[in-house]
Amino acid sequence: MTEITPGVREFILAFADDEHLMGQQHTEWIGVTPFLEEDLAFASIGQDELGHAAMLYALVAGDDDAAIDELAFFRPDDEYRSCWLVERAGDDWADALMRHWMYDLAEMHRWELVAGSSLTALADASVLAEREEVFHRRHADSLLDALLPDTDARNRLEEAKDRFAGLALGMFEGSDGEDEAVAAGIAAAPLSSRLDAWQAAVDDRLGPTDWAAISVPAQDRRRNRSADFAALRGRMREVFDLDPAAVW
Amino acid sequence: MTATYEVFLKKEGKDEFRHAGALDAATDELALLLAREAYVRRGEGDHLWLVRRDHILEEDPAFISPNADKPHRHHDGKAVAERRRSLRESASSSDDAQEQS
Repeated sequence: MTEITPGVREFILAFADDEHLMGQQHTEWIGVTPFLEEDLAFASIGQDELGHAAMLYALVAGDDDAAIDELAFFRPDDEYRSCWLVERAGDDWADALMRHWMYDLAEMHRWELVAGSSLTALADASVLAEREEVFHRRHADSLLDALLPDTDARNRLEEAKDRFAGLALGMFEGSDGEDEAVAAGIAAAPLSSRLDAWQAAVDDRLGPTDWAAISVPAQDRRRNRSADFAALRGRMREVFDLDPAAVW
Repeated sequence: MTATYEVFLKKEGKDEFRHAGALDAATDELALLLAREAYVRRGEGDHLWLVRRDHILEEDPAFISPNADKPHRHHDGKAVAERRRSLRESASSSDDAQEQS
């Protein structure tokens, strides 16, 4: 049994927080995506990401629902380890689609890197997650296939890519503990080892980007929260915060 | 351009494909993905067929309707069963008559 050291905990929480907040962002599109079937599909994808987050939180917190809730919803803001890409608020569908495509392209690498994890439960989670991610990637890709030939849609997607490129690079910044997780065989390599492959895929799809000119946000190895985080956390806890003493 | 697709589902085993509904989609690939989430989100089927509505051949109901008025084509077997029964009975009653003589 591989031990969850404080460093490994940080590493897993960074992944879990990204999945949690990405899922939350997707589910906020329920009822307002451009058409009904997309509403169902995008909500399903958000729900899958929340499920992945729950599996990852459980690695740290055990199977106790209250302990998982505590991690997911009630940590102090500076103890979250999310990247700023998943914290960014937005109500533009091109942004939502571009973030979904960029995020799931990176998520594939993330699960691959823990597929042979020394933490067996994490390796098992990667098998379950990848079964769902196949659908996520096909969904994002097929929407791009349908939209990119249209000039107006292409322009809007390229603008969205420009808005999110720096934030997306922030996904590849590990939290403290990533090196420790790699040394312990929890992950095969840091996620940054897949950055070149990810950038090549983005360039291949959307045309060349001057990556060197794009700055990574000041996440400070994911210790800092972005300006949008507090409002997002408020929406996640909205019902609970109405009456914290209520028994459900 | 958007097309309309008819959705058919089938469970594993001997059941036939059944019509589940329809959806509009911009491409064949999107139609398959969106149909999965709209019609098979709770495992309603193991196999999914999509047929573009404009690939379906449809006959005019007025051309079909005369065939609804031909009772002699309804083989429910009653007439044949009745004839067999009466033949059986007449055969057995003649056997009885021979045994008595």
